[in-house]
Amino acid sequence: MQIFFQTLVGGLSLGAVYALVAMGFSLVYRTMGLVNFAHGNVVMIGAYVASTFYLTVTLPFIPAMLIALAVTGAIGLVIERVLRPLENKDFTLMLIGTIGFGIVLEALATLIWGATGRAVRNPVQAAPVELLGLRIRTYDLVVLAVAAAATVALVLFLQRTKRGAAMQAVAMNHEAATAVGIHVGRSNAVAFGIGASLAALAGSLAGPLLYVSPTMGGTLGIHGFAAMAIGGFGSIPGAIVGGLSIGVLGSYSAGHFEGYSELVTFLVFTVAIMIRPTGIFGETTVNRA
Amino acid sequence: MHRQRALAAAALAASMTAAACGAPGDDKGDSDSGSGPIKLAVVNAQSGQLSSLGAWELKGAKLAVSEWNKRGGIDGRKISLKVFDDQGDPTVGTNLARKVDSQGYIAMIGTAESAVTLAMAPVLRQAEIPNITSGQAPAMPELGSPFLFLNGPTSDTYDETLAKYLVDTKGMKKIAMVTNNGSFGKGEHDAFMAALTKRGVKPLTDQVVTTEQKDFSAALSKIRAAKPDVIFLGAEEVESGLIVKQARDLGIKEPFAGAAPQGTPVFAKTAGTENAGGTIVSTPYLSNESSPAAEKFAAAYEAAFDEEAELHGAKAYDGTNIVLTALKNSKVATGAKLAEAIRDTKYQGLLGDFAFDKTGVGIFKTDIGQIKDGKLVAID
Repeated sequence: MQIFFQTLVGGLSLGAVYALVAMGFSLVYRTMGLVNFAHGNVVMIGAYVASTFYLTVTLPFIPAMLIALAVTGAIGLVIERVLRPLENKDFTLMLIGTIGFGIVLEALATLIWGATGRAVRNPVQAAPVELLGLRIRTYDLVVLAVAAAATVALVLFLQRTKRGAAMQAVAMNHEAATAVGIHVGRSNAVAFGIGASLAALAGSLAGPLLYVSPTMGGTLGIHGFAAMAIGGFGSIPGAIVGGLSIGVLGSYSAGHFEGYSELVTFLVFTVAIMIRPTGIFGETTVNRA
Repeated sequence: MHRQRALAAAALAASMTAAACGAPGDDKGDSDSGSGPIKLAVVNAQSGQLSSLGAWELKGAKLAVSEWNKRGGIDGRKISLKVFDDQGDPTVGTNLARKVDSQGYIAMIGTAESAVTLAMAPVLRQAEIPNITSGQAPAMPELGSPFLFLNGPTSDTYDETLAKYLVDTKGMKKIAMVTNNGSFGKGEHDAFMAALTKRGVKPLTDQVVTTEQKDFSAALSKIRAAKPDVIFLGAEEVESGLIVKQARDLGIKEPFAGAAPQGTPVFAKTAGTENAGGTIVSTPYLSNESSPAAEKFAAAYEAAFDEEAELHGAKAYDGTNIVLTALKNSKVATGAKLAEAIRDTKYQGLLGDFAFDKTGVGIFKTDIGQIKDGKLVAID
């Protein structure tokens, strides 16, 4: 029983990171109907920027993270600006464009930081919390808290602010939104920017949990994408549920199927998608693709 | 005007295509001809999670080649070294094996990953290109390729020495195991298990993880519940570091024990210097101070690359020296003759005295060390 809960706890923190990655995917998807395939690589850039300011410039962890958020937010804006002429013209080219950006970002990271990668030391030195024989890493709690705060902030932004409402409107019907005077391009830019900042948040939190290297975006991107698919394309609650599910699922299949865990995780994922192709919170109205 | 621009664009496109087509086929020189530089290939990961290994390997090989070139090369011919990046990926490796063949390299140094070496071996065997690898999986000598050589001991040697120390010397009987399912981890698992079985010890728990895994709480919780004296760890540098880091977070205080990867600075850095302390390591190259030859090598390595030497650089240095010695002894033979010459080469290296058997293994001894303050030291 103790192992059961310990496994659950272990899966949750990585699940929270997947949820943040999935939220970034979802936000762009719901606004533009586009899967940003560079998203995983933006996560990686975020992890590198945060770890550079944390380890090399020796800033505290939180400011380092905020700088990473700003840097990747800007990268998101650039990607959107470059792809904007294709919006509503050639969707396939836009998709390929995001893949291209992903490759460029990975190559850039190799140029700047080298191919080897680096380990990031744990920013929270406090001893693990003991609870009913379970040991919960303090850093896991930080990850969960930051992810929860980011989710609340995002939902508030989407529901309570004018800009957020405009983005929702674009998501529902971009032609009608244009007709009532909403700048669709700007709305898309904001979606891309926030999505990329969420990626940086995921990346900088993942740094001390994992190992920062130019290829880390691949694994995180695929898990985040799977999380979005399982939760429902474009759904924010879906991204959270999906992310945590993929994290916990991975953790349990690692416990039971050991060497075959990845296989089992994605088999379960495939079955889930076959049973419910729209995902848990699938919003078909958002589907513009 | 428009037309002109289109023409210019077409011309540009055509010239680019021509350049692109020209690039891969360059360098079709044949070094069997007996003149020009002697071409050696280094195939190793220069990118990806395993690239630190590849970087060390390349430095070791470069150092050996530059020393030989300074002495005037072999038979008056210079030695040239070209590096290929296998990204630690067996598929990339097999493609590179064909490239190494088609571009006329006469021997190959690398790779540092058993999985990649295993994938490349059949192509290199067919092409009759001798290959000296830094991998240590027992599956490699089992292939029985006359063209495949190891520049260090296999997992069998590492883990027999380790089990002997843990069980026979220290009397530790409560042992937990965690290994990954890659070629290296599988080799470590089987070798250590065999060494334990020989001593009538059964591990308390035997956890297998994947090479891509990042969260080890399930495996580590089971290990923690089993209350072992020591945990055997069979995974590459970065993954080993992550496992130890997470184990300490979960409150596991027992020492880890393992082979080559746990002796590297990358392992200690990934785990955190404090977490890595006390790790018991079976290694053929304890430190840069272990012999006068090692001291000389370490000084030259540091002068050339401004970095402290370690096991993998030393292994590649030995391996490259063996190939070059064989080339000298055989008056630059190629193919099967060169493989024979390598097998006949007796070489006193940094890792010990090499004498190859028919499976391509040349060294059968390791020592036990321990990590203190992030550095490997001989055990007291």
